[in-house]
Amino acid sequence: MQQITQQPSVTRHTRSGKINIRSGNRVSLVLRATLWTLGALTVLAFFFFDYTGFRPLQAIPETLYNLKAMFLEPKLSHFGWGEAAMQVAITLGLGALATVFGAAFAFFLALGAAENLSVPWLSKSIRIVVAFVRAVPTVLWVLIFAIAAGLGSEAAVLGMLFHSVAYLVKAFSEAFEEVDPKILEALRSTGAGWWQTVVHGVLPSTFTYLLSWTFLRFEINFSVAVAMGAAAGAGGIGFELFMASGFYFDLREVGVITYMILAIAIVLEVLSTRLKSRVYSAS
Amino acid sequence: MSLLEVNGLTKSYQPGNPILKDVSFSVEAGEFIAVIGPSGAGKSTMLRCLNRMVDIGEGQVLFDGRDVGAQNKKGLRDVRKNIGMVFQHYNLVPRLTVIENVLHGRFGYKSTLQGVLGRFTEEEKRKAFDLLGKLGIAEHAYKRCDQLSGGQQQRVGICRALIQDPKIILCDEPIASLDPNSSRIIMDHLKTISIEFGITCIVNLHQVDVAKDYANRIIGLRKGEVVFDGPSPLLSQRFTDEIYGMKTAVEMRELITV
Ligand SMILES: Nc1ncnc2c1ncn2[C@@H]1O[C@H](COP(=O)(O)OP(=O)(O)OP(=O)(O)O)[C@@H](O)[C@H]1O
Ligand SMILES: [Mg+2]
Repeated sequence: MQQITQQPSVTRHTRSGKINIRSGNRVSLVLRATLWTLGALTVLAFFFFDYTGFRPLQAIPETLYNLKAMFLEPKLSHFGWGEAAMQVAITLGLGALATVFGAAFAFFLALGAAENLSVPWLSKSIRIVVAFVRAVPTVLWVLIFAIAAGLGSEAAVLGMLFHSVAYLVKAFSEAFEEVDPKILEALRSTGAGWWQTVVHGVLPSTFTYLLSWTFLRFEINFSVAVAMGAAAGAGGIGFELFMASGFYFDLREVGVITYMILAIAIVLEVLSTRLKSRVYSAS
Repeated sequence: MSLLEVNGLTKSYQPGNPILKDVSFSVEAGEFIAVIGPSGAGKSTMLRCLNRMVDIGEGQVLFDGRDVGAQNKKGLRDVRKNIGMVFQHYNLVPRLTVIENVLHGRFGYKSTLQGVLGRFTEEEKRKAFDLLGKLGIAEHAYKRCDQLSGGQQQRVGICRALIQDPKIILCDEPIASLDPNSSRIIMDHLKTISIEFGITCIVNLHQVDVAKDYANRIIGLRKGEVVFDGPSPLLSQRFTDEIYGMKTAVEMRELITV
């Protein structure tokens, strides 16, 4: 007769002797310790601030006044609406350029980086390089390219492109690795070559993911392009924002530009949601 | 010369733990062979060694006079295009249509560019529809595969194998995910294929009775060893018990009543 016997060697127990059902005991301990330490440091930091020149009674109403001027009385004074639209278009263009080229490069690199489609040495090397590129912020890449191309839109696009490629390679290659190995097995068993397997097995299975990652990156690139217009002289609405705030101190114009950027961001968000729901409902 | 010859095939995934031990048999053209054996006996592994979907360890697989293990990339593609494969989980690309999935079976005959661009001749397309018609799913040709029932998907899988014009079809538990009725339809189709087109079939099966009903010959695997190889009528209860490592009926009864 068989009998279910207990296996004390397999089960793990908590300190109180109960059977533990979580495996990551040490991980959660480290996590908790980290959170407590960070919390303590935050509280401590308040005692070391330099409070000279800090007059809250005066600062609060002045900030409120500035916010009111910015957001409740927006007004363009240094350029017209046509010019503003043009500048927004330039910023969108910068973002689109970096995204489209980035996605194209990333597609091929991601094929090399995906473990199920590539060889270990290639996949590892691409991953390492890409992780390094991604760890350096976009702004820094723009400044690095500015050495060669000079500050301006070229350096901005190159820098954004660089970071976009690295970002999308990670996203794309993870999507590729999710492809059902059974699909690849079937295609290989028919005698299909590598490219045929990729185009007819991997691509149809991941296309919607690639599209939504690319769009997400476009949203990011748009906001980076705004910042680059201000910081790296890439032109576009970001540069106007920089002029309005740092040069003319025109809060009302800053308000208009902020609203415009906000509007574009909302439009992009709506578009991407639409795109996603359409693509997914078709699948 | 036999169509397929397996000599002393010994395969292990981890060193020192052979999954297949010195497996030898040969297959004549037109045979319908069932491979039976308990879970983990190595049926799937053996089948995948035949077209080198997994690396052949020691031993030799000769297909149509060619040493499968010794082929380079191009030679291997050439071997594979002559061997159709049918899977338990159909292994179709779910987001593509039925007809697209069937035509995937032609990639072995195409140059890289032709294949990538999906250039299929009218002849190939006509053949694909013919096959779909033969298996009774022509009306679903433009549907996406994930909208089909399991039995229908398996028929798509068979069409994909058939359009390869294969000399042999390997089926890895083609009916394990299907209800009895669909199972019968699929097995009938496989039988028809083997008789009508003269294509050799090797089918991994879990159901001994199905194996006896359809196959001319049965190979029994147990723990990676061939313990039975002969015409299906000769597979007696005693051999079945040995393959599945079961006690005889009397011993079983004793065990239960204890
Ligand atoms: N890719 C792999 N890597 C390592 N071990 C494997 C691999 N594939 C199969 N095995 C092992 O090989 C043994 C035989 O597996 P196989 O799938 O060939 O058995 P099977 O007879 O087809 O079983 P089933 O009837 O359950 O499908 C199993 O013990 C399994 O764990
Ligand atoms: Mg199996």
